[in-house]
Amino acid sequence: MQNTTRTDWGRRQPPIGGSNFELYAWFFMRVSGLFLVLLAAGHMFIMHVFNDTLNLDYEFVAARWDTPYWRTFDWLLLALSILHGTNGLRIVMHDNIANKLHRSLALYSLYFVSTAFFVLGTYVLVAFVRQS
Amino acid sequence: MAYQEIVSTGSVYKGRTSMWLYLFHRITGVALFGYLLLHIISTALILAGPEIYEGAEAIYKNFYFRLGEVGLMAAVLAHAINGLRIITVDLWKKGSDYQKSLNVVALLIFIGIFVPTTYRMITSYFDICIEKSSPGTTVVDCMVRPLPDWKS
Ligand code: HEM
Ligand code: HEM
Repeated sequence: MQNTTRTDWGRRQPPIGGSNFELYAWFFMRVSGLFLVLLAAGHMFIMHVFNDTLNLDYEFVAARWDTPYWRTFDWLLLALSILHGTNGLRIVMHDNIANKLHRSLALYSLYFVSTAFFVLGTYVLVAFVRQS
Repeated sequence: MAYQEIVSTGSVYKGRTSMWLYLFHRITGVALFGYLLLHIISTALILAGPEIYEGAEAIYKNFYFRLGEVGLMAAVLAHAINGLRIITVDLWKKGSDYQKSLNVVALLIFIGIFVPTTYRMITSYFDICIEKSSPGTTVVDCMVRPLPDWKS
């Protein structure tokens, strides 16, 4: 980490010399980011430019989820944004919570909440059956 | 050196634009995660059937929420484009030689997408609201009504 600062080029530096896990996590943020451009930004533009949320109703979602493709798209979006966001928050917590006990508490709550929301979102995508 | 034990405070950061971009990426990222959790709950309501799902969606259909959605769109867009800038710097050999130009390019792309999308989100809000609401509804009604006067 020669003569660069932590925020050189407005990002986290590659964690050289740390554990392999940290290096993979750093790389994962970049790769998942690339996919999220398609998934998250795509999802937003579908909802706001190609449709308008004023027209959003039960039928709209039911029709999308009639095809397994949109269910798969939504599931990839769910999985990647939870993983990417959770790893991002893990880093933020490591940076900002000095007290070890508080930090562990925060991290475990984060992992618990993320897992619960991942399970809930997956359940919704799998269990949804059109009621008409 | 698994983790830094030192708490980051704004004052240790060096570099101006870089520092702000770093902070900005962090704030938008954390905000998006918070939105994601709320969003998963509101989507889960669909399992309770059309009545409940649409009842909950109606709350999101007033103009204040539309402004919020513009903010959300801006956050996703900015985080995405700045993320692409970071990826370019890290994974392209020459990325770091061009970081100043990359900052400018990222900003221009952001503006180029943000402005027309916002325009579209605002104008189509009023078009649809006036079309669907009872006759005589004005733009001002659309702006201040807490709930739409139509059912989707
Ligand atoms: C739309 C496409 C996205 C791209 C291209 C992207 C890209 C990135 C990149 C490259 C990083 C690492 C930054 C660094 O190491 O300094 C990052 C961090 C982060 N991202 Fe994303 N991301 C995207 C979407 C999202 C979404 C949807 C969320 C929320 C669920 C999110 C939450 C975060 C958080 C919390 C961080 C940690 C920030 C930090 O360490 O300061 N990102 N993103
Ligand atoms: C205001 C903007 C947004 C609107 C109007 C919106 C709308 C919707 C709708 C209607 C669904 C139901 C499924 C479908 O029709 O595909 C959905 C699902 C989903 N959205 Fe969004 N969305 C927005 C922004 C976002 C953002 C920014 C993210 C990522 C951080 C996101 C992540 C998801 C996920 C993961 C699901 C699947 C949920 C589940 O598995 O239960 N959405 N969204």
